[in-house]
Order: sequence, then C-alpha cells, then structure tokens
Amino acid sequence: MVISPVHYVAVPLLAAFLMPLLSKINREFVRIIPGLVLIYLGYVSVTLMNQLAETGTIVETIAGWSAPFGINLVFSPFTGFLASMMTAMAFIIWIYSYRFKKVDSEPAQRFYILQMMLVTGTIGIVLTGDIFNFFVFMEITAISAYALTAFYRHRDGAEAGFKYLLIGSFASTFILLAIVLLYSQVGTLNMAEIAQRMHTVPMPMKVSILILFLVGLGIEAEMFPLNGWAPDAYSQAPGPVGVTFAALVVKAGVYGLIRVVYTLFDIPSVGEFLIIMGAVTLVISEVAALKQTNIKRMLAYSSIGQMGVVLIAFGIGTTEAVFGALFLMFNHAIIKGLLFMSGSYLVYNNPEKEIKYLSGYGMKMPVISLFFSLGALAIVGLPPFAGFWSKLYILMSAADSSLYGLIALILAVSIIEIVYYFRVVGRLYFGKPAEGSIMHKATPGGIIAMSILSITILVVGFYPDIISSYIHNAAEALLDKAQYIENVLPSVNDLTQIQN
Amino acid sequence: MSSIDYNQIMSIGIYGSAIGLILIGLYAVLMKKHLTKIVIGLSIIDAGIHLLFVAIGYIDNGTAPIFSPKGLEMMAAGKTMVDPVPQALVLTAIVIGFGVTAVALSLVIRLYRHNKTARIDQIKSLKW
Repeated sequence: MVISPVHYVAVPLLAAFLMPLLSKINREFVRIIPGLVLIYLGYVSVTLMNQLAETGTIVETIAGWSAPFGINLVFSPFTGFLASMMTAMAFIIWIYSYRFKKVDSEPAQRFYILQMMLVTGTIGIVLTGDIFNFFVFMEITAISAYALTAFYRHRDGAEAGFKYLLIGSFASTFILLAIVLLYSQVGTLNMAEIAQRMHTVPMPMKVSILILFLVGLGIEAEMFPLNGWAPDAYSQAPGPVGVTFAALVVKAGVYGLIRVVYTLFDIPSVGEFLIIMGAVTLVISEVAALKQTNIKRMLAYSSIGQMGVVLIAFGIGTTEAVFGALFLMFNHAIIKGLLFMSGSYLVYNNPEKEIKYLSGYGMKMPVISLFFSLGALAIVGLPPFAGFWSKLYILMSAADSSLYGLIALILAVSIIEIVYYFRVVGRLYFGKPAEGSIMHKATPGGIIAMSILSITILVVGFYPDIISSYIHNAAEALLDKAQYIENVLPSVNDLTQIQN
Repeated sequence: MSSIDYNQIMSIGIYGSAIGLILIGLYAVLMKKHLTKIVIGLSIIDAGIHLLFVAIGYIDNGTAPIFSPKGLEMMAAGKTMVDPVPQALVLTAIVIGFGVTAVALSLVIRLYRHNKTARIDQIKSLKW
C-alpha cells in the first residue's frame, strides 16, 4: 500500500465510525483499535518524514482534481513536523488513558471515538491546503472537543461545554465569514492561490478579512481576550482530554493563526499586533494563574500564557524566532502533557481539584509527585530541561531584534510562573499531610506515558540537536512562502485567472 | 425614471436580509437569557452567513450550474452559470451547522437536568 498524507485523515475517521460495530465483537477492541491506528499513523509519519528528506514537500491531490480546483494535503517540513508531533502525543495520551473507565465500556467507547475524531480534525487542520477544508476540520475538532468537555455528567462539564460551544460557534462564524469575503475577493479557496492573488485585494478589505480570521482563530489559539472557554474546559473535562487540548487542539489553533498571517496575508505590521496580543495574553494569564486555587485551572492559565509567548515569538518573525516558537510548541506539548497527566492523578479523589489538598503528597505518591515536579521545573525553563532551550532561543531572537522590553517582560513573567508552580511543588514535599486524603494508584499505562514524556523532556534538554534540525527545517518551510506556492501550484497557468 | 433596476433592488434586498439575519442572531445570542433561545440565535447567524455566501456566488441572470445538455443550450443562448462553489460550500456549512446545533441542544438538556433551570443567569457554578 502506498503511504500518503491522506491516511492521517482517513484512517482515524474510519476507525472512529467502525468502533461501535467492532465493539460488538469484542469489548476490548474499543481500547485496542485507537492504539493500532495511532501506531500506524506513527509509521506513516516516519515514512513520510524520510520521503520528505529525499524528495521535498509532498503534495497529495485528492480525487484527481489538481491543485487550484480540488482539495490537497500539503506535507511540508512544517506541517509534517506538527502532524508527527500530534500523532506522537495522541499515542502517548492513548497509553495514558488505556484503562480509562475500565469497568464501563460504553463511556469508554464514546471517549475513544471522540478522541479519534479529535486526532482527525487537528491533523487535518495542519495538513490541508484548502481554506474551506480547513474550516471543516476545525469544526470536526470543535464538535468533538465540545462533547469531550461535557463528558462527565457529575461535574459542571455541560456548563463548560456549553460555554466552549458558544465561544467556539462565534469562532467558526467569524472564520466562515472571513472565508466568504476572501472568496468574493480572490475567487479561489486554495491557500497557495489565495496567497498568490492577495496583492489584488484592496487594503481595507484585506484588513477586515484578517481581523475576522484573527478573532476566529484567536479563540481556538487561546489568545486574550478570547480565551474565556479554556480554563473551564480544561478543569471540567476528563484528565486525558485536558492533555489533548493542550497538545493537539490549541496547537492546531495556533497553526491556523500562523498559516493565515504568514502565508495568506502580506501585511507587515501584523507582527507587531501579534507581539502586543501575545504580551497581553502572557501577562494577564500568568497573573490569573497565580491566584487560582484549582490546579487544573492553574495549568490551563499557564497553558494560555505559553501560547502568549508563542504568539510573541511568531510576531517577531525572524527565522530564529519562528524556530523558538515551534520549539516552544513542541516543548509545551510534552511538558504540559506531563503536568496535566500527573496533576490529574494528584487530584484524582479530590472533586474540587484544589491545590491546598495536595499537602504532603510527595511522600505518599512519590513517583507522580516527581513527574509533576519535573514538569514544573521544565516549564519554567530551568537549564537541564527541554523548556530552557525554547525560552533561550526566543529571548535571543528578541535581543537580535532589539526588543529589550520584551525580554524583560518574558523574564519577569517567568518569575510569576516559578512562584505559582513552586507553590504547588513546595506543598507536595514540605506541606503537612492533610487528614483522610485518599491516594489513587496510577495505572501502568499512566506511569509508562509519564515516563516517556519525562525521558523526552530530559533527552531534549540535554541533546536539543536531535530535534532542532527538524524544527529548523519547519521554520524555514513556514517562512518560505514562494516555495509553498510553487510546491502546491507547480505550473501557474493563465486559465485560472479571476473572472469577476 | 422609467428603468428601475430590479437586479439592484434584489441584490440590496438579499445582502440586507443576510446582514439583518446575522444581527438578529447576534442580538439573540448576546441578550437572551434562555439557553434554547441562544442556540436558536446561533442558527440564525449561520443562516445569515449562508445567505450571504450564496448571494456572493450569484451572477445576474445566471442559470443553475449543471453540466447537462439543457445547461449547455442555455450557455449557448448567452446565459451564464452562477458560481457553483459557494453553493457546494453552503451545503457543507449547513450540515456542520446542523451538527453544532444538535450538540448544543444536547448540552442544553444536560444543563437543564443538572441545574434544574435553563436560564443562563441562574447557572453560576463556573465563572461566566
């Protein structure tokens, strides 16, 4: 069988819809099939990444309709990196949640189906080269994310889910409106062709379309002030879903934002706008994280703050800054994944998820506490861990662009970050154990998943070179717009000119 | 004075009603306190955008974009086809909107059972 990027979308989608049938044969299939699908996608990732190194960007046309007319999937070093990262994270989340709802196969089935849909949607967002297809994948992601947020009946999941749905519907409305206006102006939906024709669009229209896109995608990418859904969704959703949101959904949102800003539009001052929005997002969310008493809300606000740093780095826009931003996206996926995984175990039997009940857990749950502390050390950017490098590259690129105020801001906010993470770590190790707290023993899958993430954090921390070449290629592919257009539209012919 | 441009009036009417629908929907979503009315508002916004999209693809005096003998005949008679892409996209968008509405309504039912009320100002477990 020929390996192609279509498998990223087709295989998990097929598996999601076959699962209810296959679960009739054997209930355990519900748990095994997502793993098999993700292993296969991992194999696809490895094959395609190798092929990418040999032949350059892989463009897959669907149903034989060539580039400007049909839908195409673009597996460039940039999208390929993100898709492979998402596949790997989805696989680790699968290991983590293998015994999820172990007694009850009916909710487990719903959970895995929705997770598969989420994988389809997020990877589809990253790979697609068609702006309307992008919207469709965004909706697949969003609908499964709403349902997963409202997964638990006994929590306030429905409320968080409805809030997310309300904000998410606004997001999709804005994106759809932007696509409508864009189509009316350029007469095409292919992203490369839009990029090519963008200079024909009058400036006021261009700015309006960009604003609509920024609002819509900013909601998905947790940009301030559009991130009201995130803390509730993270805190009410099941533990593995929080990891999925941090590692897949938000990454896809940031990808969309960046693709629109860098490839579709050519407005130079948008970088400054991203820097300002990123800085505001960063400061407000980190201050908000400081006063949270619920550990999942704290992690959610920290997640928003990290996305603020990513936006700042993308706003700076030099190759080094984009490198730092992509590195931070990777690090955020693995580190925040570890923090959410260990954090959910720490507060497993604690319905309010309050930090104050965590006192003295360091002795009772030594392994999980160690994982959490490792994640906390890594995310604030202390030297031997992965988080250090991304922060260093972003600060260095800010220094190169003479944005010294920004460096001061990021470092000052890091202190806030250290305070609230170490407040939790301090409680774990030096707090007085609370009475009657019940421990929850981690499943073997959970321990394995957290170990993989911890080892990755350490390995990337000591040898950043093993990942940096991929990220470097990704950053270059993102910035090279002419190459992207050339790859997708090999022969630009005169037949596809604008009619109206 | 004799020639009133009906196409002009028609297009103003269609664009105006599309924007009107979007505004009505926004009003419902932002001002109404009942969850069901909010969901209805979301659907109305969607309908407005779909109308706008179809209107953009319309070409004056165009025929249906079907590649058939009859369509070709009309093409030969000097009639143009309207742009088929927006219509295809609107069909997709309608289906997506249907899915979102279904999920929204199921969440409303869940919220009603959980809180014994469907008014948004009385549901305050999380910070709105």
